[in-house]
Amino acid sequence: MLNLIGNYSLVLALTISIIIIFLSFKTFKSKENITFNIFFIISSQFFLICISFLTLLLAFVYSDFSNLAVYFNSHSSKPLFYKISGTWGNHEGSLLLWLLVLSLFNLIFYIKSKKLLNAFRSLTIFFQQIIILGFLLFIFFTSNPFQLVIPTPIEGLGLNPILQDPALAIHPPILYLGYVGSSIIFSSSLSALVCNYVNKEWASDIKKWTLISWIFLTVGIMLGSIWAYYELGWGGFWFWDPVENVSLMPWLCLTALLHCTSVLKKRLNLKSWTIILAISTFILSMSGTFLVRSGILNSVHTFANDPERGLFILIFLTFLILISLIIYFKHNNFNQENKSFIFSKESAIVINNWFMMYFLSVVLIGTVYPIFLEAITNEKISVGPPYFNQLIIPFLIPFLIIMALGPKLEWIKNKKVRVKLTKIILFVLSIFISYLIVRHFSTKVLYLTILISPSLYLFFISVIDLNDEKLKLSQKLSHFGFSILIVSIILNSLFSEEVSVNLKKGEERQLSNYLLKFKNITKTEIDNFTSLKAEIHVIQNNKELKFYPELRLYKVPETITSEADIKTNLFNDNLVVVNYLKDTDYLNIRYQKKPFMLLIWISAILLAIGGMIGLRKDFK
Amino acid sequence: MIIKLFKLIFILFFINFSIFSAFAENKKVEEISKNLRCLICQGQSVYDSNSEFALSVKILISEKLISGSTESEIYDFLKSKYGDWIVYEPEFNKSTLLLWILPLFLFIFGGLLIVRKVIINRSIK
Repeated sequence: MLNLIGNYSLVLALTISIIIIFLSFKTFKSKENITFNIFFIISSQFFLICISFLTLLLAFVYSDFSNLAVYFNSHSSKPLFYKISGTWGNHEGSLLLWLLVLSLFNLIFYIKSKKLLNAFRSLTIFFQQIIILGFLLFIFFTSNPFQLVIPTPIEGLGLNPILQDPALAIHPPILYLGYVGSSIIFSSSLSALVCNYVNKEWASDIKKWTLISWIFLTVGIMLGSIWAYYELGWGGFWFWDPVENVSLMPWLCLTALLHCTSVLKKRLNLKSWTIILAISTFILSMSGTFLVRSGILNSVHTFANDPERGLFILIFLTFLILISLIIYFKHNNFNQENKSFIFSKESAIVINNWFMMYFLSVVLIGTVYPIFLEAITNEKISVGPPYFNQLIIPFLIPFLIIMALGPKLEWIKNKKVRVKLTKIILFVLSIFISYLIVRHFSTKVLYLTILISPSLYLFFISVIDLNDEKLKLSQKLSHFGFSILIVSIILNSLFSEEVSVNLKKGEERQLSNYLLKFKNITKTEIDNFTSLKAEIHVIQNNKELKFYPELRLYKVPETITSEADIKTNLFNDNLVVVNYLKDTDYLNIRYQKKPFMLLIWISAILLAIGGMIGLRKDFK
Repeated sequence: MIIKLFKLIFILFFINFSIFSAFAENKKVEEISKNLRCLICQGQSVYDSNSEFALSVKILISEKLISGSTESEIYDFLKSKYGDWIVYEPEFNKSTLLLWILPLFLFIFGGLLIVRKVIINRSIK
């Protein structure tokens, strides 16, 4: 019954989508006002997709195993929370969520854009509906979440235990809100091109959508990193894993776009560049979905793949790229731009975009190069952290300095550039402090000093800028957050320490400065898994820390996950992870000291808060 | 007596030395295995994994180090056995030329575009 309701709502939504495409194109052609009808139709489409999503949710909650998606991805013994999150923890459900958000944003766009040009509005809805239609067809023909299993199985196959985690339960929806938000940016910029509507009004509208996507993407990426940090069990938070890269690419693009729109808004410059960025952001989000879903990537996330579906997304993607290219080259006839000044905010933003695009190209090339190389020459290579570090870190140095100085520049400025004494003093100070920090590294002092000083410099400048009345609060806060992020990431990677040893219960071992004791292990049965909690004591300089890391043995499907025990304070994380060694009584115990972890998360939140403040201001 | 003392010192020195070299060697194993992909895991390095494959590779590395192999010899050996896929840092050679050069090329290209824009802007004035 549930399956039928869900399925038929989707069919109806599909029909409505075609109607909207037709109607919106008609209103665009005839330049009429958008009528009440379209609002009714759009909201009923959203309503239908909502129903469809809710039925799937209910099927998961009530463990309706006659549904194929539920059968494959759920189990009646799972806690309710993970039954719910199981709805989007699989391919079919996650696409339905994409669709739901797409139509929700379509509706919000319609309601919020009443002040804008009518032709522009209807054409944006037209493009947005083409995307919605594409997704509906995709869901319908390749990944229908409402397929039946006959006869109805008694029990499901279970959700991958590694995904049964609070951070990961909300990570996909948040990330999707970010990805899908970029769809509006895409539709709106295509439509603005056609309607010749690339102006200040459009810029401030698109800025809101850019901010929305950017906030969700920032938080989504952060949640994913937090999850990787404590769940995957090796104490890192960023692995330059292809799927992480795929979420970072639209983020870089959005960040560039965010800065670019203010130039458009204030100076009416960089029109075609803004459009290119807007289109690429969505294309990157879509390619991300394609790469993750198609199983081309080899990564921690390979639980979410299926090669055949990739083809459909690839065709759809090519179609969207073609449309945008045609529209771009047909309508890209911007008249002469305003004069820009060399030492101005505009130049600083252009340079920001320049570096952002460089970082983007490194991430993009590093991610897709191995795929193409393998397809063409059958040679299999890995592109891992050393590649990204080598190409990105040297470029961070000028980037950070420009980021420190850029915000203070005026939009229009005479050629005299005054250099303030405080800035020079701060610069010398940062070099000196960096030297103090790194001097006990015997080999790499010069290199590390050069690396750390600009990040400290940015930090000092952004702290001082916090008091500057002239700058926008959103911008100050985000830059401040970013400077903490960079400083903490660098210091974290420099000063992390770890020791690892295999011990039996009752044994202890001295490793460099640390004495590790494996005291005890207790076994308890919880809901759908067996928990093995080890008691590990770590002694350093007569200070004893007790840790209770855990191993979880899941029965359906049979998997072992490892939960780190993390002791967090503002400046230091201490954590112990244990791992099961096959066919022995030994546990592999790994103790890690990771400075500034908490600051990394806090700074990411600061970034997002800065974005939210900006958004609130724009909506006023 | 003196000979005994010498023996003691020698033993102490030797123990110390062997502990020290074992420590340095561990560091080296850590460094190398962090740059190796665990072939049977999903997105884990050999260092981070406790799979049988990873453990055997770690033992292999420390044996090679003890027998006096250099770092690059170990990488070469592993690459010839398992292919380039195992190393996280792609080599710079004919087939990875674009991988290393293309981003830098794009950076320069972007810079030129900006310079061109500035010059055009100047000429308007």
